[in-house]
Amino acid sequence: MKVTVLSFNAVAAWKWNASTEPHQLYAYASRGPDGQIEEYDDDDEEVCGICQSAFESTCPECKVPGDDCPLIWGECSHIFHMHCLLKWLETESSKQQCPMDRRSWGECSSQQME
Amino acid sequence: MATGLATKRLMKELAEIKTKGTPPGIVLLNAVALDQWVFLISVLGDETIYAGETFALRLKFPNRYPIDSPEVTFLADAEYIPPLHPHVYSNGHICASILGAEWSPVLNAVAVCITMQSMLASNKKKERPEGNDRYVRSAPSNPKLTRWQYDDDTV
Repeated sequence: MKVTVLSFNAVAAWKWNASTEPHQLYAYASRGPDGQIEEYDDDDEEVCGICQSAFESTCPECKVPGDDCPLIWGECSHIFHMHCLLKWLETESSKQQCPMDRRSWGECSSQQME
Repeated sequence: MATGLATKRLMKELAEIKTKGTPPGIVLLNAVALDQWVFLISVLGDETIYAGETFALRLKFPNRYPIDSPEVTFLADAEYIPPLHPHVYSNGHICASILGAEWSPVLNAVAVCITMQSMLASNKKKERPEGNDRYVRSAPSNPKLTRWQYDDDTV
């Protein structure tokens, strides 16, 4: 039998790499003396701590997820919707600190994440 | 009323309270408006000096919540009296760093309630703050307009 494909529609899905990077770092850091990587529950890591919306959806001010409403990664490993975090950093009371750990906020460059 | 971020965030918090409930000793009394909630707070256990007492904590959420902190006071009216505590004024205003300088947008209404509950739980002396009468006479209605000094970490 011979099949001729006349046309096809490709479908793709995307997801922010929000849990794997900190997950790997966490797993590495929490590796026990025997080198075993502990199970890590990342249920709570899927939402932005500021707006409580999923990373895959937008910040509350945006309509289209993706590059127009990106995530931002901190050196401290915490992740937020970029728009949510910038709103916080614009305020004087933020003292330019990460909302999670109050360490001075620094953006993690892509090299550091590799 | 609040837009975008504040509305969505408050709806999510309400939904979570409805599905998961609140911690022991904390009850959402009402949310008359989406931006104004009242919780009942009591301290559980035998160790507390507030045994049998219930206090009403009101949270007013600004348009830019959670970027801006909520306005948090204990109700002082015919029905409720603010707890006798060295950081709680008789008009219900509270001197607590997380309500001011140490606010973080990852905190939420329930987290504020828990902090207030543990502030009461760790207290050993039932007294008003120094200078209570002077403060209450001249205090703005919104405690966020008061310039707080956080100088005591023990209670």
